[in-house]
Amino acid sequence: MVTSDLLILCAAGMLVSAYLMVGQKALFTAIRLYSVQSLLLGIVAVTMAVSESRHELFATAAITVILKAIVIPWFLMRVIDRIGIHREIEPFLNVPASLLVCVGLTVVGYRVSTGFPVGARNVSHHLIGVALSMVLIGLFLMVTRKKAITQILALLTVENAVFLVAVGVTTGMPLVVELGIAFDVILAVLVLGILVHRIVDRFESMDVSRLSKLKG
Amino acid sequence: MNLLVWTLAVPLVTAAIGGVGGPRKLNETVMVGGLLLTFGLSVATARQFLAGVPPAAFGDALRADGLSALVLVLCGFVGLLSATYGVGYLRRNEARALVTPRMRREFYGLIPAYVFAMLLVAVSNNLGILWIAVELTTLASIFLITFHDRDTSLEAGWKFLVLGSLGLAFALLGTVLLFAAGQGHLGEGFSALHWTRFMEVAPLLHPFTLRLGVVFALIGYGTKAGLAPMHTWKPDAYREAPSPAGVLMAVGMVNGALYCLLRIHLISKASLGPEFSGGLLLTLGLLSVLIAMPFILIQWNLKRLLAYSSIEHVGIMAVGVGLGGEAAAFGALLHMTYHSLAKPVGFFSAGTLAQLHSSSDLKRIGVGTISRAPITSVLLMLAALMITGSPPFALFFSEMTILRAGFLSAHPTVTSVFLAALVVLFCGIVYQIGHVVLGPPRDPADRRVPLRERPDLGMGTMIAAAILAIASTFYLPEPLLALIRAATAVVSGRP
Repeated sequence: MVTSDLLILCAAGMLVSAYLMVGQKALFTAIRLYSVQSLLLGIVAVTMAVSESRHELFATAAITVILKAIVIPWFLMRVIDRIGIHREIEPFLNVPASLLVCVGLTVVGYRVSTGFPVGARNVSHHLIGVALSMVLIGLFLMVTRKKAITQILALLTVENAVFLVAVGVTTGMPLVVELGIAFDVILAVLVLGILVHRIVDRFESMDVSRLSKLKG
Repeated sequence: MNLLVWTLAVPLVTAAIGGVGGPRKLNETVMVGGLLLTFGLSVATARQFLAGVPPAAFGDALRADGLSALVLVLCGFVGLLSATYGVGYLRRNEARALVTPRMRREFYGLIPAYVFAMLLVAVSNNLGILWIAVELTTLASIFLITFHDRDTSLEAGWKFLVLGSLGLAFALLGTVLLFAAGQGHLGEGFSALHWTRFMEVAPLLHPFTLRLGVVFALIGYGTKAGLAPMHTWKPDAYREAPSPAGVLMAVGMVNGALYCLLRIHLISKASLGPEFSGGLLLTLGLLSVLIAMPFILIQWNLKRLLAYSSIEHVGIMAVGVGLGGEAAAFGALLHMTYHSLAKPVGFFSAGTLAQLHSSSDLKRIGVGTISRAPITSVLLMLAALMITGSPPFALFFSEMTILRAGFLSAHPTVTSVFLAALVVLFCGIVYQIGHVVLGPPRDPADRRVPLRERPDLGMGTMIAAAILAIASTFYLPEPLLALIRAATAVVSGRP
């Protein structure tokens, strides 16, 4: 019982971090929230590894914590430091309204998750509910925010949600595949970082809503 | 070593050498030689398949069945065309001192890397590897889109990367959900994500989880294919990318992404029946064909015009697969083959024209180009006729095959709308390009002499591609036809 409580707690924590990300504007805090979210994902993986003695999940947890809780946040903070932009400007939708929309999205996520099989410890559909809600919130963040860094964080939130399903609901993705995915993700973040640099150099802003010359 | 592994190793090594830099002659030789060898090896792999020994490697993680072999050969072919045209393209820019050492390294490194990633997509039998390979294509192409380092190319690159990554996140969620649907049946370890394993246990997959997974995966890979409404990155990216990279995106990536869609569709079909994913593909495909219409009619840029034509063609192939039935599937794969032969001609001639005028905007190119750049203009007109499927060219026959199957299937209304859209698109593209090529020069700007077209490697590739595309109308080599049949057998689920 303790295991499933812990799993649900961590999953709920990840959802809360996604909400907090929607709710504030300081970019540093948003990155720290992402770091905490990844750490919670790591705890989910460790819990699963211990409770079901699936040792390959320790590797998953290690990759998750090192890469997503430490390396990627560090890299993103460096990018922000270099370009010296610390706050998100007024989003297309204000914060209270955004949070209300997110509550709606969570309801949708949970509603869809009721179609899943209950699973071994009665937690699968909770995890899927959280994951689907996070996917929707990530999408929402992506369309309503203007700063390039926030869009990257939204993407990474969606990616964390996918891994929550992979770790919590399946018997774990094969390790080779997981290593490949981790490699690709870090490469993608690197490339995104480089692109943000180039955009800031060129436009003297990382407001991506200015990127609107191409139409038709 | 295994033939399949060689096919993948050669472009990878080519990319590594090209990325290091070095003298221009060496770079050019390595890229053309490497991709020529790659094409040869992909043909050899396909021959090995036809001889009855399905090539496989790494415990079946890489495997070539009929569908893989067809996509492999087509991607290898386009890779070779892109390399030879690319060398000519870069030489022309170099003659005008537009090329920095950074650009040269990116160009010679990323084009073979892109080809490598596409070939890896084509032979992945493991859904995890498949996802990784598609992500690699995204990463390899992003700096090709921002190649010219203009404001607009950064914009296009950003949109491409964000939308592409989001699509890939969806595809990953889809993959994980498919995996979740097979819990307890797929077994343990690496082989649990093998596509062949999924097909074996298809009837046992959990239906609801599978449905959700299929939806996410189709939307995700559909983004990479450029199916509407996830197509918005395509016109921007095609306009900004240099034409040798554009042709890789328009043919190689389209075929690769369609390959992913087909694999997911086949799992869904084996488990849930053809209606679910088939209906989804049919809807997205029809939407793509319809959405291309207005944008082609009002288009202001030649390469964006080709992008919308590419959206149309992905739509046509998706409709062909979505209609269901063997005849329609054959039509779709035939269309894929003919499209891979015809589209490069369009891209190369449009690219040359854009290079001569230093812009691909229709306003800058002006009208009546036939008097200024006759060979390129004739080829562009020819390409326009080919890609719109006008008789007697090959795409007419593949489109007729799909339409015929459509009218005989359970979706005659959809097919009628589809046919009407194809007619409008034909008129739109032929009108637009006809105007550019043959239109009467009105203002003095249309009469100015731009840079002259010169017989060089780029021109040679363009003419060779055109000859091959026309020849394919009248004659398809027997082994290629056998490959298309084998691929059709895979798609329609025959052993």
